[in-house]
Amino acid sequence: MAWINQNRNALISAVIVVIVLALMFNGMSPQTASSVILSGITLAALYFLVASGVSLIFGLMDVLNFAHGSLFMIGAYAGWTYYTNPRLLFNTGSLLLALVAGFALSPLLARFIVLPRWARWLAFLIAFVIAIFSVRDFPIDKLVAMGMTMTGKVIPTAEAQEPMTTMLMRLAGAFLAGAVASAGIATRSAERRAAPMQQTIALVIGMIVAAVIILLAREPGEQFILQTDSNWRFLMAMVAGALTGGAIGALMEWGLIRPLYSRPIYQILLTLGLTFVFDQVVRFVWGPAGAFMEIPKWFNTPSKDCPSDNLWVWFAQNCDSVFIGGRPFPSYRLFIILVGILMLIVIALLLQRTRFGMIIRAGVQDSEMVEALGINVRRVFTLVFAIGAALAGLGGVVAAPFLGVYPGMAMEFLLQAFIVVVIGGLGSIPGAVAGALLVGLARAYGDNIVLAGIQLPWMKDAISGSPAIARASTVLIMAIVLFLKPTGIFGKKD
Amino acid sequence: MPNILELNSIQTFIGQFHILEGVSLSVAEGSITALLGRNGAGKTTTLKSIIGLRPPRDGAVIFAGTDIRGRRPYDIAALGIGYVPEHRAIFRALTVEENLKIAERKKGDLARRADFIFGLFPDLKKFIKLSAGQLSGGQQQMLAIARALVPDNRLLLIDEPSEGLAPILIEQLMTSIRSLSAHTTVLLVEQNFRMASQLADSYYLIDDGKSVQHGAMKDLVNDRATIQRYLGAAQA
Repeated sequence: MAWINQNRNALISAVIVVIVLALMFNGMSPQTASSVILSGITLAALYFLVASGVSLIFGLMDVLNFAHGSLFMIGAYAGWTYYTNPRLLFNTGSLLLALVAGFALSPLLARFIVLPRWARWLAFLIAFVIAIFSVRDFPIDKLVAMGMTMTGKVIPTAEAQEPMTTMLMRLAGAFLAGAVASAGIATRSAERRAAPMQQTIALVIGMIVAAVIILLAREPGEQFILQTDSNWRFLMAMVAGALTGGAIGALMEWGLIRPLYSRPIYQILLTLGLTFVFDQVVRFVWGPAGAFMEIPKWFNTPSKDCPSDNLWVWFAQNCDSVFIGGRPFPSYRLFIILVGILMLIVIALLLQRTRFGMIIRAGVQDSEMVEALGINVRRVFTLVFAIGAALAGLGGVVAAPFLGVYPGMAMEFLLQAFIVVVIGGLGSIPGAVAGALLVGLARAYGDNIVLAGIQLPWMKDAISGSPAIARASTVLIMAIVLFLKPTGIFGKKD
Repeated sequence: MPNILELNSIQTFIGQFHILEGVSLSVAEGSITALLGRNGAGKTTTLKSIIGLRPPRDGAVIFAGTDIRGRRPYDIAALGIGYVPEHRAIFRALTVEENLKIAERKKGDLARRADFIFGLFPDLKKFIKLSAGQLSGGQQQMLAIARALVPDNRLLLIDEPSEGLAPILIEQLMTSIRSLSAHTTVLLVEQNFRMASQLADSYYLIDDGKSVQHGAMKDLVNDRATIQRYLGAAQA
């Protein structure tokens, strides 16, 4: 009884949703209905992966991360790069790692020099100039183009990449740039908090060695990745996307958002600005055109038994589609739904069953009190930001074979994710699930109207809609929910 | 007795506002010290300045011999300071057990202190699986204090524990706090002068952001003029 009272609004909305769904699918053939529902759930799974991170981050730290769509996009591009064009990864990843190794020097440098304020800016400027020089004439367009034209094929190694000596020079340049910049961020307090000197040295040397090894192994490495089974390659691409998203998220929180916790307007401007930065970076590195990503073999093997109406046959033959409700449905989209459900379970377990989750739930209510108990809340913030970003990155890779990778995906998914969390209630995971399902189903239903038109009982002919209807419908749902319950379905915060 | 905590003329700002303009006090180990003053005098801000939630801009906060001013709250708390804020800031969405567990600094803290804590507050044991938001006001206050007892704290900062509680609960709470002081030191902010006077060994009066007077509690009880001047006629 208490539970019913507590969730009264959610229950009422659920009943309304069921009635609306019944009306929506009234008169639709079961085949169409099932395919619309499945498409809707597919979209919902992707929206959930982005929206859950937005919601977690807002719930805990009251930061509305406008750059979350960009993290989704970057994840997609990182996964695509690993999956389709590892050459790009080896040639740029090593340089990035060397740059980070340079940055990691900062606690060590802080023991010897702490620069005055003006000299810090000078250090940043010098680092910037060195960085520019070390990537001058870097043939990034050629590296990218190779992957675009020869999807999934092993590319002749001599082409498109620079000789090893040039690359080693660039590597050294990147490290130097990082090291000079790290002098700019070296402070006394950083030194006090830092790990022992030996650890820092080991870390920096380890990263340099790793960068050099990545570079030296670029040819066999590329062959190795491209020759692995596309299923494993895709799984690794998912890991790569999640790690990239997580790392960028952690850096964002630590470097940019942390100083702005007391200034919400600045955070919004900052994260909004970052979306443009990420957009331009992606356009610069990967080009504005976008690319396709091949569906891994597991969901993409033509066979005489396919499409099958039997899940087991599908599983054994890896059919590209499977009959559900009498209509073939692409099996890769079932995988997207599966990933969405799995991540929901992982998040739920993390929040409900671990100490870390307990700290997050407590922090959502009162993060100051959590800190006063002796828990380093800032570290928790960074981790949660990284987790939210990793979920978005993972979502990007999972979405890529379905939607392709293109710069516009950032804004599109940001907007949908915001609508989802606003409908579901900011800071609530059940809300993110409900919102994602609503928005996903509305999109799929709207798409169906665009294709087939809508048959109203008192009209002879179906009226068909324009594609804008599908997009408008989600915003309309948001408006209605906000009108009825301004905090969203499950929302408690306002 | 040595002093476990000393404040030397701390200056604390909230935004532009100069809230504490020189609060100095010392708390002897093993004692109960009451921080008294009118609403808005700066008592709560003093506690927040100690734990680091409102870090002082100037002055010194010396805990067990080291100046902790400017350190992060989690760092300060980990030295052995427990904070029981006003308005029973427990985590309502967490269960009673989780509210206690979250305060663990080492694994097994709660198990080790369970007998002591549940001996003081038997209700908490009864409702251990209940979500803390469902507890009554008095039980929530007990939970907030119990939470501060989970790790080995050398000093407890307790802010307005009697606020909004029925008289019978206040009696219960006083017994609990008195038996606490056998184990730790307590710095107590309390509006209810009767309660403070019965619990505390010594007092500090704060007025308008400054510490103005201090001494043994038994001397203050008879000093009606001072009580009237700094705490208002109702308390005298």
